[in-house]
Amino acid sequence: MVMASAAVAAVATESVLMKKTNTSHFLPASGVLLASLVLPGLAALVAATPLNASAENAPEKSTIAIKYGTYKDSQPGWDRVQVDAPQLYVQAPIAGVWALEGSWVGDSVSGASPRWHTQTTGASRMSDYRNAGDFRVTRFFPRAAVSASVAYSNEHDYTSSAIGLDARWSTEDNNRTWTVGYGSSSDRIDNTYSGGDVVNQRKRTHEFMAGVTQVLTPSDIAQFNLTRSFGEGYYNDPYKTLDTRPNSRNTWIALARWNHHVESFDASVHSSYRYYNDTFGVRSHTLGLEWVQPAGRWTFTPGLRYYSQSAASFYLDPIMDAQGNYDAQAVLMRAVSLNGQNQSTDQRLAAFGAVTLSMKVAYALTPATTIDLKVEAYKQRTSWHLGGSGSPGLDPFDAQFVQIGLTHRF
Amino acid sequence: MTKTLLNILAITSLAWLGGCSNLGQVNAWEKGNLAKPEMTFESDPLDQRFVQHIYGSKENSSGGYGVGGGGCGCN
Repeated sequence: MVMASAAVAAVATESVLMKKTNTSHFLPASGVLLASLVLPGLAALVAATPLNASAENAPEKSTIAIKYGTYKDSQPGWDRVQVDAPQLYVQAPIAGVWALEGSWVGDSVSGASPRWHTQTTGASRMSDYRNAGDFRVTRFFPRAAVSASVAYSNEHDYTSSAIGLDARWSTEDNNRTWTVGYGSSSDRIDNTYSGGDVVNQRKRTHEFMAGVTQVLTPSDIAQFNLTRSFGEGYYNDPYKTLDTRPNSRNTWIALARWNHHVESFDASVHSSYRYYNDTFGVRSHTLGLEWVQPAGRWTFTPGLRYYSQSAASFYLDPIMDAQGNYDAQAVLMRAVSLNGQNQSTDQRLAAFGAVTLSMKVAYALTPATTIDLKVEAYKQRTSWHLGGSGSPGLDPFDAQFVQIGLTHRF
Repeated sequence: MTKTLLNILAITSLAWLGGCSNLGQVNAWEKGNLAKPEMTFESDPLDQRFVQHIYGSKENSSGGYGVGGGGCGCN
């Protein structure tokens, strides 16, 4: 009944749109017309979102997507970690008011990771396989939707299970949508399988999120999300030497996103900013910018991301000897003398900046089937830290990730 | 430095918003561009999950894009 009403409205709107809009810039597909009656982009507020769907209408078609991702990182003179990750995503509408979604990923991880800072000596070698999946069900109501989800991830030394609940509802004119969400995860860490000494450690996290998405103009839509999370349990990295972290971590995250349609190019600009703050003492800023350019069957999306974080309060800089070389013995002696206190030499807790350049190319084989390729180059440098040089004595870190995918709707 | 940048960003955004008449008052028949696939915030969930997973394992920060995701022991 809801869908029938929406369809009638869509047909009525189509004729208006065809008069008011340059037809070369208008997609006549009924799905797009239906979507134009509600607030687009709402689905981005949740982790498992339907492809190209709005929050208050169940998807009209089923979707299946497969993707193959590869990841490889390195620092000067050393290839570190490689990941191969096949992925699957399925979404199906049920009776016009329900949607079921599921996804799976299998990560094959191999390589080595430093035990302290960016030192190659004594690096911990790894070969692991991660299986992760999630399932989500959404019930649609007039101008509202409610979702519940479960997620599970399993590695030989780490198991995580999570649940999520969220609701979103729109104003009568569909120009504003509010969202609230709650998520909880329970993790278990145990590396005795590989000869480690971490036995049955636990970590629990609770997340609360509230957000608003607002249509600003016929060419602009913006979104603001605020997330608060509370975590307790085991945060140490068992593969770093004498790594001891606080047993709780609470975070504040603010995310602002803005999409703008550029009429003269029939393109879209996506901009985003995320502020992150946690009780480890880390503050970070993430800026994202993408240009989405359709061209016939092709869509080109170049992107730029900048990230900067401050160091954790318990991160310890490297100690250098008189010749400026890494003094492993002094670092070890300091770690031993601080035994029992929070301390870490994990590069990921240092102060640094990072830049990612990306390019995604998609091609529509048919109106229902699209293939895509995305290539990204990531570079992490302490000197790129926002507001001055970051942590001293760390090597540059580079990574490349590539994804190739196929999406079919039917 | 960081606070200065944030202030400039906030003031610029507010000035831009203030210059728009009828801000937020958009009729259904004016939403043709907003309904285009490239105007959604996340058009490819697998892509976003893969990339956010990588960032979450190589940087301290993660999250903010939704709730209900689990953790991992990624190095």
